[in-house]
Amino acid sequence: MGKLYSFKRSLWVFHASGGSCNGCDIEIIATLTPRYDAERFGIKLVGSPRHADVLLVTGAIPRDFADKLRRIYDQMSDPKAVVVVGNCGTSGGLFYDSYNLVGPIDEIIPVDVYVPGCPPRPEAIIDGVVKAWLKIEKLEKQLEGGE
Amino acid sequence: MNFTLLSPSGFWNPLLWIAFLIIFAIIGYIIYARGNPGYKKNTEQVKPYLSGNAEPSKEEIMVRAGDIYWGFLEALKGYYDVLKTMHTGDMRDYILWYLGVGAIILFLLVGGV
Ligand code: SF4
Repeated sequence: MGKLYSFKRSLWVFHASGGSCNGCDIEIIATLTPRYDAERFGIKLVGSPRHADVLLVTGAIPRDFADKLRRIYDQMSDPKAVVVVGNCGTSGGLFYDSYNLVGPIDEIIPVDVYVPGCPPRPEAIIDGVVKAWLKIEKLEKQLEGGE
Repeated sequence: MNFTLLSPSGFWNPLLWIAFLIIFAIIGYIIYARGNPGYKKNTEQVKPYLSGNAEPSKEEIMVRAGDIYWGFLEALKGYYDVLKTMHTGDMRDYILWYLGVGAIILFLLVGGV
């Protein structure tokens, strides 16, 4: 039942990219191609954080982007979850000691799932999003129960 | 009593109109009631998404009616700068101008050269 319950509704994802090399972003797009086809599970990318359940963040987050990322997170309605895709956002990755970075991302907004890799494979990204899905369902139950 | 109006250009029935109004109000309410209950008023959640940028103040981005004359005002800037300093909004100033210009005209027409 647990797994079936996860198909209760479609999961809409917003992708924010700050200072990534584009490798992770290409892999996110790859998850939507016919080979992986995440959309068959109702997972799709949307153009506004206000429509999204999950925020996918890639890149090491340069100083200029930090406040924008915070704002994007704040604009998502509850319940919401954040998935960091790639080593850059997790730990700084290749750019970890750059003078211009304010990441890792969990120092800017709360992160629920980390998908390591440089870049991670589409299977790993889908797995990360599904983990976020479970977290959102828990939050949703809390909200319905009236916090 | 017949409520239906049939004319060559169309059909009108107020009872039907009210029925549709009620049906659409119910549909609207159902959509509204299914809205996200976690939605928080007076936070960033109600602001427009502008690629993560802060929303500029309305004054900064609003196109005012006066902006229609922008090119005109820009082309005649020198003239308008003088005119604006004269445009004080003080009735005494205007009366003074009126008397002054009136005196000049009178001087030219009557006592003039
Ligand atoms: S984790 Fe690797 S692939 Fe992803 S943005 Fe950083 S450098 Fe590029």
